Amino acid sequence: MSRRAALLAAIRRSDTNGYIFVLPYVIFFLAFVAYPLVFSFVLMFHRWNLVSPMEWVGSKNFIRLVQDPLFFKSLFNTLTFLAIHIPLQIFAALGFALLLNTRIRGRGFFRGIYFLPVVVSGVAVTILWQQLFSFDYGVLNSLLRLAGLGRVPWLIDANIAMPSIAVMATWKNVGIYIVLFLAGLQGIPRELYEAARIDGASPLRQFLYITFPMLNPTIIIIVVLSTIGGFSLFIEPYVLTGGGPMQSTLSGMLYIYNQAFYFGHMGYAATLGFVYAAVIFLVVTVQRRVIERDIAT
Amino acid sequence: MRAGILAVVLIYGCGDGNGPRNEAGGTIELTYWPAPNAQEVELADSLVREWNILHPGVHVVMQPIPVNQSTEEVLLAAIAGKTTPDVCSNINPIALRDYVASGGLIPLDQFPDFDSVVTQRIPRELLGLFMTPDGHYYQVPWKTNPVMMFYNLRLLRAAGVSGIPNTYAQYFALGDRVLEKLNGPEKAHIWVGERDIRPIWWQRMFDFYPFYLAASGGQPLFRNDSVAFGNSSAEEVFAFFRTCYARGYFPRTSFYQSVDPFMLEEKVTHIAGPWQVAAIRKFAPALDYSVEPLPVPDGRKGPVYTFGDFKNVAIFTTTKHPREAWAFVRFLLSARYDRLLLHLCDQIPVRGDLLTNPLFAEYFKNNPKMVRFAEQVPFTRGMDSAPDMKEIFDGISQEYEMCAVYGTKPPAQAVRDAVERARMITEWNR
Amino acid sequence: MKSVVKYILLTGGALVFVYPFLWMFTSSLKPEAEIGDLGLWSTAFSFINYEKVLVKIPILRALLNSLIVSASCTTTVVILGSMVGYALSRLRFAGKRGLYMLILFTMMIPFQIVLIPQYILMVKLGWTDTYLALIAPTMISAFGIVLFRQFFLSIPQALIDAARIDGCNEVTILFRIIYPLSRPVIITVALLTFMTNWNEVLWPMMVVRERSLMTMPQIVALFSTGGEAESQLGYLLAAATLLALPVVIAYAFFQRYFIESMASTGLKG
Repeated sequence: MSRRAALLAAIRRSDTNGYIFVLPYVIFFLAFVAYPLVFSFVLMFHRWNLVSPMEWVGSKNFIRLVQDPLFFKSLFNTLTFLAIHIPLQIFAALGFALLLNTRIRGRGFFRGIYFLPVVVSGVAVTILWQQLFSFDYGVLNSLLRLAGLGRVPWLIDANIAMPSIAVMATWKNVGIYIVLFLAGLQGIPRELYEAARIDGASPLRQFLYITFPMLNPTIIIIVVLSTIGGFSLFIEPYVLTGGGPMQSTLSGMLYIYNQAFYFGHMGYAATLGFVYAAVIFLVVTVQRRVIERDIAT
Repeated sequence: MRAGILAVVLIYGCGDGNGPRNEAGGTIELTYWPAPNAQEVELADSLVREWNILHPGVHVVMQPIPVNQSTEEVLLAAIAGKTTPDVCSNINPIALRDYVASGGLIPLDQFPDFDSVVTQRIPRELLGLFMTPDGHYYQVPWKTNPVMMFYNLRLLRAAGVSGIPNTYAQYFALGDRVLEKLNGPEKAHIWVGERDIRPIWWQRMFDFYPFYLAASGGQPLFRNDSVAFGNSSAEEVFAFFRTCYARGYFPRTSFYQSVDPFMLEEKVTHIAGPWQVAAIRKFAPALDYSVEPLPVPDGRKGPVYTFGDFKNVAIFTTTKHPREAWAFVRFLLSARYDRLLLHLCDQIPVRGDLLTNPLFAEYFKNNPKMVRFAEQVPFTRGMDSAPDMKEIFDGISQEYEMCAVYGTKPPAQAVRDAVERARMITEWNR
Repeated sequence: MKSVVKYILLTGGALVFVYPFLWMFTSSLKPEAEIGDLGLWSTAFSFINYEKVLVKIPILRALLNSLIVSASCTTTVVILGSMVGYALSRLRFAGKRGLYMLILFTMMIPFQIVLIPQYILMVKLGWTDTYLALIAPTMISAFGIVLFRQFFLSIPQALIDAARIDGCNEVTILFRIIYPLSRPVIITVALLTFMTNWNEVLWPMMVVRERSLMTMPQIVALFSTGGEAESQLGYLLAAATLLALPVVIAYAFFQRYFIESMASTGLKG
């Protein structure tokens, strides 16, 4: 039977209900995924401010992008964010999870508290931290002053602003990863630890050679989700710093938003979106490979 | 029967060249959009009312622009949706390119009396500024708000400063005196001046840009759509503000209070336009101050230029009655209404005869501070109408922030980088 | 490690996560001058900041908008998602595998690339400043479909066969038989969808400019960056507290469900 005939036969055999049930998704996909994707490829080669007609500009958007210092600055800022956020996230989440995994009372209570910032709106958290970070009246600087130390320009110093945002983001999300690590820890067979103890392994060795490797899947999730989150940073710099001081907190998403809605460059914004998406894809793929290879060794 | 109806429609439909009438022999209706602020709406209201009485055949309806959006956004959307009014008096020259490019405005120089109306009203020096590269005029300048320097005279005297500074060096001397004499451990801090440090593009209209115009003698930022501000004037302006922040004349924070510190006498100098006079009259009537042209780099000669936020009048292509619309525009630009503009809104009409025309004498007698603004009008420049001015000013703001506010970049480098970014944006727009 | 040390560390951690919220709430009740204080107490507590906020911005209207949008979105995601999930797991039709691969693929597409074109689509359809723009692009969730499919795969075939023999059509099977067995996954998908949609701010900021249609996080975000708050910290903190309140209350009652929903996303790996 030819492939075409086989295909037609298969369709005839199919349960029509199947097609009816998946129809909503197909329509949705075509309208809100396929069309925007295709249109984005068209838009990248045009200049458009939504009111005047679209103007073909060929590769001008790409030429502009590779010469655009703000694009590279936004990438650098995102890397700065991730360099602080990811290790801090892993360290804090793992630390609390290890503590919670021991014989203690009120595990559910603590877990509930650590998870609280996760559910609260990012806008509320950002406004809260804006006050905590405030140079003159902020809680953090008041605490430092009490301890006899100097005040820190959390959001005013171009070198500290992005790391401050990374700390805030860690505070907000660590709850999820504590829960995930806990689940992961509870999935490690006790026998492995028994065997190790019999062999005379110290708790540190047990951690390094059993716990850590077995938590690898969770660590991959943290790294990947945090990376995607880092590239999606928008409301935090928007509310806290507007991208400053001196563009040090300009995130990719904020730059796209400004280009599209502040300056009306839809084509360039689409180009930026495409390139950022490609970068994210690349980075996440590399991360998966690297971490998975680590565990295999 | 049908042929008869058709004939009637044809006869009434073909007008006498003025365009079709709404009803057979009925009134023409025009829509007019003023700026959304309260005083201008009041002004527009009396304008429209009087017009309607004087011209029963042409009825003008006023519709204010919705407040929650920028006028430029609203107008561009209206052009796209073909819902534009006949006349609008809130045209910002910075957006003119966009309006014309999307085919929204009609050239006003098509009307035979355009030249005489314009040359009678507007100072010679300003005439060419509002022309589009294609040689036509799509806007007529209506009013402007020149940016000048306000000085608190009482604090000046207390600091032992005898004259108004004209140059940067003299301004710095004033600054040193203020820091020395008016500030100390027991006293509340008195700043020499203050500017919003946020790198928001339009904030530069109150520091970098007016000072650049003053320093360069009114040179535009662009010439033939090419970047033209990579010069010593720009560097001198950057250096001026850098010094102000470095020496502590200006604070490195932003005040967001509803009342400006100048009116609370916490600031000795203040950069603002005519609206500040009205605000002082309302909130700090006892303030002893004067309005002066901006300081310029030492050694600079000639009249002192500044930036003025021009608002112009234009007629849209959707109009069915261009001639009547132009008649209304002429009415709006008449001396009678310029007088009301002064009295009701405290804003300066773009006229060459402000200080010589007896119609305005009473206003300037009662408001002597406004005389300075009137004198400044011929030397006031608006924004260039190059594409993407907003983004270009955003780039300048970033360099300003780095160089002047935080002092991390020398002025020459900052100007170079600003020019480079402006060049990149202009290239992309070609 | 000694118990005492453990509890000290855990309690210290708890303080770090809870104290800021307490500070936010109590500071919103304090007079402006006292907001810099570390302590939670003040002699001059009052609700005036809340009164001011309620007058300045239509925050209750925004709450209603968020409820309408998030509830609609959650309903469609659950119903439509379960339908697709059911078809992918239990119905036989050509192209099933391909469709599932497609769905997995769409989950890998970073949203940055479709955001602008989706916005332009809203403009072209004239849906900006309507509920449609807020609900339609979120009506189906690929992630929800995958969760449903995975769960439905574990339902015994015998149950479905029996229903079919009894003459039930697929719709009845899904909603009358499978749904009652699917409480965990329905709750998970519903909760996750509701929460993510509720907290979403970037998309509303793009498609809605009309104040009376803004969602709650959106209006509070714009309140804090616009000049309306007149940089009164009290107003900002009051607005933030109002924003956080509904979710915190829901969380207080349904904490377990929240945590389990989020955690299950990780286990899927």
